[in-house]
Amino acid sequence: MANPEKKQEAYQQTMRSKATGRFSWLWSEYSVIIAFLIIFIAASFMSPRFLDLTNQMNILMQVSIIGIVSLGMTVIMLSGGIDLSVGSVLALVGVITVMALNASGSIFAAIITACLVGSFTGFLNGLMVAKGKIASFIATLGMMAAARSIALYTADGGSISGEVSGFSAISNSDLWIIDYPIIIFLIVTALVYILMHHTRFGRYVYAIGSNEKAALLSAIRVDRVKMAVYSLGGLLVSVAAIIETSRLNSISSSSSGMQYELDAIAAVIIGGTRMTGGRGKVIGTFFGVLILGILNNMMNLMNVSPHLQGFVKGLIIIIAVVFQKRE
Amino acid sequence: MSTNSFMAMEGIDKSFHHVPVLQDVFFEVNYGEIHALLGENGAGKSTLMNILGGIHQPDKGSIHINGSEVEMTDPRVSQDYGISFIHQELNVVSDLRVYENMFLGAELRNKWGFVKVEQMCQQTKDVLARLGVDIDPKEYVRNLDTSYKQLIEISKALLRNATLIIMDEPTTALADHEVGRLFELMKNLKKSGVSIIYISHKLKEIQEVCDRYTVLRDGKMVGSGHMQEQKLDTITNLMIGKSVSEERFLQHHTLGPTTLEVSHLTSPGFFTDIDFTVRKGEIAGFTGLAGDGRTELFESLFGFRKKYTGEIKIGGKTVRIDHPKKALKAGLGLVPKDRKENAIIKDLNVIHNMSLSSMGHFEKTGFVREKAEKQRFEFYKDKLNIKVQNPRLTIDKLSGGNQQKVVIAKWLEVDTDIIIFDNPTQGIDVGAKREIYQDIIELAEQGKGVIVLSSEVPELLKVCHTLYVMYQGEIAATFKGEEATEDEMMRYATGTKKEAVTVG
Repeated sequence: MANPEKKQEAYQQTMRSKATGRFSWLWSEYSVIIAFLIIFIAASFMSPRFLDLTNQMNILMQVSIIGIVSLGMTVIMLSGGIDLSVGSVLALVGVITVMALNASGSIFAAIITACLVGSFTGFLNGLMVAKGKIASFIATLGMMAAARSIALYTADGGSISGEVSGFSAISNSDLWIIDYPIIIFLIVTALVYILMHHTRFGRYVYAIGSNEKAALLSAIRVDRVKMAVYSLGGLLVSVAAIIETSRLNSISSSSSGMQYELDAIAAVIIGGTRMTGGRGKVIGTFFGVLILGILNNMMNLMNVSPHLQGFVKGLIIIIAVVFQKRE
Repeated sequence: MSTNSFMAMEGIDKSFHHVPVLQDVFFEVNYGEIHALLGENGAGKSTLMNILGGIHQPDKGSIHINGSEVEMTDPRVSQDYGISFIHQELNVVSDLRVYENMFLGAELRNKWGFVKVEQMCQQTKDVLARLGVDIDPKEYVRNLDTSYKQLIEISKALLRNATLIIMDEPTTALADHEVGRLFELMKNLKKSGVSIIYISHKLKEIQEVCDRYTVLRDGKMVGSGHMQEQKLDTITNLMIGKSVSEERFLQHHTLGPTTLEVSHLTSPGFFTDIDFTVRKGEIAGFTGLAGDGRTELFESLFGFRKKYTGEIKIGGKTVRIDHPKKALKAGLGLVPKDRKENAIIKDLNVIHNMSLSSMGHFEKTGFVREKAEKQRFEFYKDKLNIKVQNPRLTIDKLSGGNQQKVVIAKWLEVDTDIIIFDNPTQGIDVGAKREIYQDIIELAEQGKGVIVLSSEVPELLKVCHTLYVMYQGEIAATFKGEEATEDEMMRYATGTKKEAVTVG
């Protein structure tokens, strides 16, 4: 009689270890989503207004700009780099876009200008990193200072407003109840997801981030891929800049885009992308952005002093990283 | 055991994962002698030294120091007995001063916790004077020659009162005049009663400086004696043994026209004036000892290094290769050495590692077709006998041999005319080694030009049509595969014998 009991025990043990094994797999693959769900449920208990549809849409609307920037940051960080210049470049692109808009009177021309300027600054970052062999942190730190300075100089330190009616419609229209920026954010997420997981380019970015030397010895054009990565980051900043500018129909050369790089990096890290590159997911960043959005929203709903919000955000980032380190 | 013995290891046995690495090894070092420890790669030299250094524990056997039995349970214990290990890679911090390096981790401090700079400088000076050199203790190490860096390591050992210093291949990074300086120093040390264990491949140097030798082969002690009483040839024979040369893998296919022609290839500091040709279906082997420049030569050929002069012709056309991608287009493939650093992408899964260099084969309207990749992988899995449960797991879950097969599959998929294998059997087991050499032969039979780089001559002898021995960046000798013998090749590789390359 002792034997079957023992067997049963052993069986239960294997089942338990299997279950924990499965859980750890689930955790390592989807920890951001689980964390998102926990925070979402907690938030819905803490504030009755949280679940209101308008509030939900509000959250999405608020994260869409940082979200688009974060997607570009994800690609850059997967390649093993970082881009500190996104906030400044966003302001610079915004300023030049409004100037182009006012000068030409054409919304189309403004959008094209925005995309060109953003991609070009990204390309310059890529050039410095890939050809100049400058550490991405340093190269983009320089770009951060330079881009902000040019924005301030061009706009004389102030804000400039659009004079063409219709431009502000980009951010202030909606489809049924979904605002355009949300739709743009979702589309960009889908595109970046496809790019990173279903094309050669994405594969190369992961390879370079994981082992640059082996990638080069596998006959990958590492320098070109890197330049493309930073250019893409710049292009996505342009998209974010267009939304930001259109929202209020003006851009401030001094305050727009301030500290966006920190929020974007935070979202990417919370989303589970490894600082040194090679590992991480686009979907992770998507949920990382949402987590940050919910936190902001909750703190506003609960009347947490804005001066204290940074502390809470910082805490969450650190907790997120500690949990990811566990696996 | 002689009465003069300082350290003796007796009956040492050691296995890793049931593979015996050392069997009943006896090794003895006397007071104030320089003792050469010889053997080919994998003979067990480093394992023996790691046991002496307290890094590994022997399965059986005993260690005696000054006649009494000791147990080296820990590297620290070994240091306390006065044993100091100077590794091949020097552990000095270039951005610190000489005396700071000397006392790193053991700084002298006063009761307030401040470092006693003057006292450390004085002690450093004393030790350096004992070695007969005059450097300012406050000089930055980065401003010194490599040989002085070596010297700092040795001084460090002396500061900790080392009575036995182990030097692992100390001369690989040194120029000729620096080697002379090191030898002077070793002789001075010997006079002051310090014993030295000297590990090296370069027999000529050993003859110059060592008193006695011990030879290991396949984990066994096969010979020991006084240096002066032996000829170098006898020692070489002891190292390689008579029985090692197994059967040659037979190759009866005929060779095609010349596919790769390299002339006057030079890269200062690495290799000079390299000429060779490879025909279709030929397997060319390159060997040499550390510092021979063969890896740099083929990395240059592959476009990983750009600073070289000379001409490369592939299929009769002159090509200029400054990027691996261009090498691939010209028809060159490279399976690099040091798999972990150079070949595998550990965050990508097995299939993605296989397809990385030939993504074009799996694309349709710009998107990667994972199904096609999977099918192709199944093909290579059968062909190369890759053992993998789930190819969607990251490649670092595989054993070394299987990882290497995936890397080979990657280059087979690219299908270049010429393929270079740098140390293809590094760190993999015997069975997989054999399979990999069979794959290499099959490639040659298909009419590809194959180049194999290896430090293990017996392996090359088994598969190559032509053998090139390199010594300090030059091709020292060329052999036909069936005419070459290992000891003859070793003589050229160690620089014992040198002659102009015979043409044709």
